[in-house]
Amino acid sequence: MTDVTPDPKDRHDRLFRTALLIRLVEERIIDLYPSDCIQSPVHLSIGQEAVAVGVCEPLQRNDLLFGTYRGHAYYLARGGDLNAMFAELFGKIGGVSKGKAGSMHLAAPAVGMMGSSAVVASAIPHAVGAALAARVRNTNQVIVTAFGDGATEEGVYHESLNFAALHGLPVLFVCENNGLAVHASLAERQAYRMIDQARLYGIPAETLTDGWDFLAIADATDALVREIRRDGRPRYLEVATYRSREHVGPAEDFGAGYRRRIGLEDWQDRDPLIQDTDRIARLTPEITAEIDRAEAFARASPWPEHEDLLSDVV
Amino acid sequence: MDESPQAMTAASIQTYRDALFEAMEQALIRHDHTVIIGQGVTDHKGIFGTTIGLGERFGPRRVIETPLMEEGSLGICLGAALNGLYPINTHIRADFAFLAMNQMINLAAKYRYMFGGLFEVPMLVRLVIGRSWGQGAQHSQSPQSMFAHTPGLVVVMPSTPEAIRETYAYAIAHHRGPVISLEHRLMYELAFRSDPAPQSPSASQSGTPPFTSRLERRGRDVTIVATSIMVLEAKRAAERLAPHDIECEIIDLHCPSHPDRDLILDSVARTGKLLIADTSWLAYGVAAEVCRIVAGTAPHVLTAPVAMLGMQPAPCPTAKSLEDMFYPNLRDLMQAIVRLVTGGDNPAIDLPDERSMADFYKTFRGPF
Repeated sequence: MTDVTPDPKDRHDRLFRTALLIRLVEERIIDLYPSDCIQSPVHLSIGQEAVAVGVCEPLQRNDLLFGTYRGHAYYLARGGDLNAMFAELFGKIGGVSKGKAGSMHLAAPAVGMMGSSAVVASAIPHAVGAALAARVRNTNQVIVTAFGDGATEEGVYHESLNFAALHGLPVLFVCENNGLAVHASLAERQAYRMIDQARLYGIPAETLTDGWDFLAIADATDALVREIRRDGRPRYLEVATYRSREHVGPAEDFGAGYRRRIGLEDWQDRDPLIQDTDRIARLTPEITAEIDRAEAFARASPWPEHEDLLSDVV
Repeated sequence: MDESPQAMTAASIQTYRDALFEAMEQALIRHDHTVIIGQGVTDHKGIFGTTIGLGERFGPRRVIETPLMEEGSLGICLGAALNGLYPINTHIRADFAFLAMNQMINLAAKYRYMFGGLFEVPMLVRLVIGRSWGQGAQHSQSPQSMFAHTPGLVVVMPSTPEAIRETYAYAIAHHRGPVISLEHRLMYELAFRSDPAPQSPSASQSGTPPFTSRLERRGRDVTIVATSIMVLEAKRAAERLAPHDIECEIIDLHCPSHPDRDLILDSVARTGKLLIADTSWLAYGVAAEVCRIVAGTAPHVLTAPVAMLGMQPAPCPTAKSLEDMFYPNLRDLMQAIVRLVTGGDNPAIDLPDERSMADFYKTFRGPF
């Protein structure tokens, strides 16, 4: 968030560029995956990039975000280093976490990316605790927790919403509703509506249905972040989005029978990362070069060694 | 533990509970970033008297009552630690912390390592072992080995007020990771001498890191490695056996996650005999781990099979008659020592007919 209103076209370009970076990074991962140079389960964000891009844009540097194992998009949207990300995926010492984290635990505390847990919903209380610390220490930070619709079924999610609402803590809950938990649809899993349930805790909540529209998501998040910074109380944003790939791994799995391809086609018809061919053509070469450099960095980085095996344990 | 409190002056004694209260109070006074978070921390019982009044004195931003949310509570502490606080998380029964196992094992224990050292999650988690007086299967467990099994956690079991003061002060001021402390409810009301007797070897140990084991008594005949209240039982047994020329060496394991291997091995090398007295089950637990240390390094120093005392291999029963059989008592311990040292029973040694260890330490009637 800046005091000067940015040129709308520049802003659009900037957000588009970040979204395209995420898309192209993950497409590179898909290309590399069969070679086994990335030996880490990847949960791709293709289709969901706009949520991370829009949510991260209004955040200030000292605002904190807690992510999930589907975390490449948030890492990059917060400004995490691309070389260190690729080296991390490759399991090299030049990785952001020396290769100990891999794809599922990307973090970049210097830019407020506070970690990603591979156990569903388990980072949500961390955001609430960080918000409690922000309150105790008077830091005026806003703390964001991003999670999927499946996480709302976990007990600790409810514990976290209740505590944040009860104590009035500066948390933005961001639910990326892609309608799937692994291979199960919402209808198979939930007897409630997430937005209603958040409101039951007294948390102002809203839903965005155009999950491909990073500008709309950024605007909505900006308004919510301003509200949180003003009154210090939690807000809830649900964004309908689309997971185009399998739960884990690089492939599409429309042939598996649990969902229909037509949903993908509907999504792609509106996805700016497919439809905005001018921007794609203009920005792709430099992004591709950036990814090439990151891949080369990862390949050249040494493996972690025995001395790293038992470091940072206690 | 002193069996003759009338001999002590007020200035030289402190209860386990008062040491815990002092540690909590000092943490809030000395460190602005310390907060106490837990269910019951602001109520009139204040975690068995260890936080009473602190909420009023330090305010709701420092002493924070929680809903019933064990996993969320520990998760909130982890997040608070990531954003500059030192949280002290309380659970009035260690059993309840099983609801927080995901945060403890999957998150807190791994947050530093998993991210390659990018983060630190300094925090103290206080769990109370609620043994005896009909606590039954879900209010009495002693889960030190479950936590100590997982790399990344420091697990301590203070057996004296001195151990509480040293260990908690060090953890809060210096240690940058999660520390789990198992406090034994039976010890809360006990008065201890605050300065160790001159003959106690632990007096010379002040200055050693608090996350390790402690030599509590020197003796030539048998090494007793004990945890928590079993250290007090071992001392009672040792005092009663000394007149019979059985000299026990007692090691307070104190830190099950980081036992002092050299202290144990050096002692067993001198005595040749090892008895392990733990507050929990023997299988896959502290007893097994201490055996691993000896068997994996110097099995030849043992001159007899290792003896072990712990809970019977069943959930804890509620009925007093069964509970008394479930836990080892002083007679069981002394008999095991005598058999280990002399190779059999010794009719000349008068074993106590104490049926329940809890009856000796318990200074209250329920509820508890």
